Amino acid sequence: MRRTLAAALTRPGSLDDLHFDLDVFDGPFDLLVTLILKEEVDLWEVRVSRIVADYALRLAESDEFDLEATSHFIVMVAALLEMKSRRLLSDGALLDEEEFAEVEEAGEELAVSLTRYTQFKRAADGLAQRYLEHAGRRYRGLPVPERFLRVVCDERRLPADGLVDALTVLLAAPPAPDVSHITDLALSVVQELCRLRELLDRNGQFTFAAVAPRDRLEKAVTFFALLELHNRGEARLHQSGAFADIVVRRLDGPRASSEDDALVAVG
Amino acid sequence: MLDLTRSLEAMLFISPQPVSTAELCAACVADEAHFAESLKELRNEYSAGRHGIELAEIAGGLAFRVAGACEATVERLAGARRPDDLSPALVETLAVVAYLQPTTRAEVAQVRGVSSEWALSSLVERGLADERGRADTPGAPILYGTTDRFLTLFGLPDLEQLPEIGSFALSVRETDELRARLLANAARRRP
Repeated sequence: MRRTLAAALTRPGSLDDLHFDLDVFDGPFDLLVTLILKEEVDLWEVRVSRIVADYALRLAESDEFDLEATSHFIVMVAALLEMKSRRLLSDGALLDEEEFAEVEEAGEELAVSLTRYTQFKRAADGLAQRYLEHAGRRYRGLPVPERFLRVVCDERRLPADGLVDALTVLLAAPPAPDVSHITDLALSVVQELCRLRELLDRNGQFTFAAVAPRDRLEKAVTFFALLELHNRGEARLHQSGAFADIVVRRLDGPRASSEDDALVAVG
Repeated sequence: MLDLTRSLEAMLFISPQPVSTAELCAACVADEAHFAESLKELRNEYSAGRHGIELAEIAGGLAFRVAGACEATVERLAGARRPDDLSPALVETLAVVAYLQPTTRAEVAQVRGVSSEWALSSLVERGLADERGRADTPGAPILYGTTDRFLTLFGLPDLEQLPEIGSFALSVRETDELRARLLANAARRRP
């Protein structure tokens, strides 16, 4: 691939005016490739997708299409991509025992997954063969004749005004539901923020289950306040496992002002 | 042909889907011995090669279907049938569901190594899989299983007729080769 790139660079003219502005390089494309070959620019840092996108934009804006130049560009970009993909493989450095053990463990896990997948893949191949043999078979596809149906419906005709009466009921607006039993939340996020902060100041730590209200909505408000404390760097949250209780510990650091708390309330 | 046999023949002729032997027996109002004798006579009468239709055991019941030798002629009359196009990904997903059911989308993805959301939705749309409730695990994921249509399309009387999954296992030699290939690169770099 490096030879492909080097040979492509020697071809005259077609990419001389291709200029790219990337994070790690700003200049002509052939100079970028030269620096990559000399390893003065790290290929990992070069976003080939950006190069391709810029080139595509130029093609779209240009009135002329130079097939030779575009082909040349594609060859060089393909070579860059292959060099980059080859670097995903090992660079040949030796592993110490611990690294080897990790790689070996990962390899074992992958072997187990691949073995299981291959087993089902073979089962799928067997099913596919059955499908080819059986899917085209024809069974009776007609419905049961009406005279054999277990239940026969009455053929009484419905009068037209009966339809009107039915529709009238459907079109009438239903009464507004009584929501008097639903009250506003007694808690606000700001109030809970203050309460949790006081608990941390007093005790240094607490668990979420111990301080959360019983009502689900209020519990959610307390959880939002807890997240806000964490986001501000005032508390550290720890959970020993999935769905385990959350342990909250105070972190020493600058406290938010009451204005910041008010912004939380506004949302 | 026995009278009871003729009754069974009529019921199966009229039914648009496979009928279980239990339903047939209940409809016949006959004792089990007579029913079994009539059923045996009917199976013999409509075994492969005797008539243009044959009796098949499919999807948990019995159904008449066009004999294989007459398919081409029927196609000229009724037009060609176009069974669902099942891509390799769909068949793979179907195999995992068929053998592991009831199973979740996550379990299917774990076996296949890729997301199976689209494949499962497609199988449900095609009537080859359906939802069987939710698992009793955190998140209560949906459980999936195969349908009677799956059994019909794949020519299976019931799920027990699927080949054992163990019959598709890799041999010891194949497993060792796979493991060796995966670890070869690391082995070369071992000090």
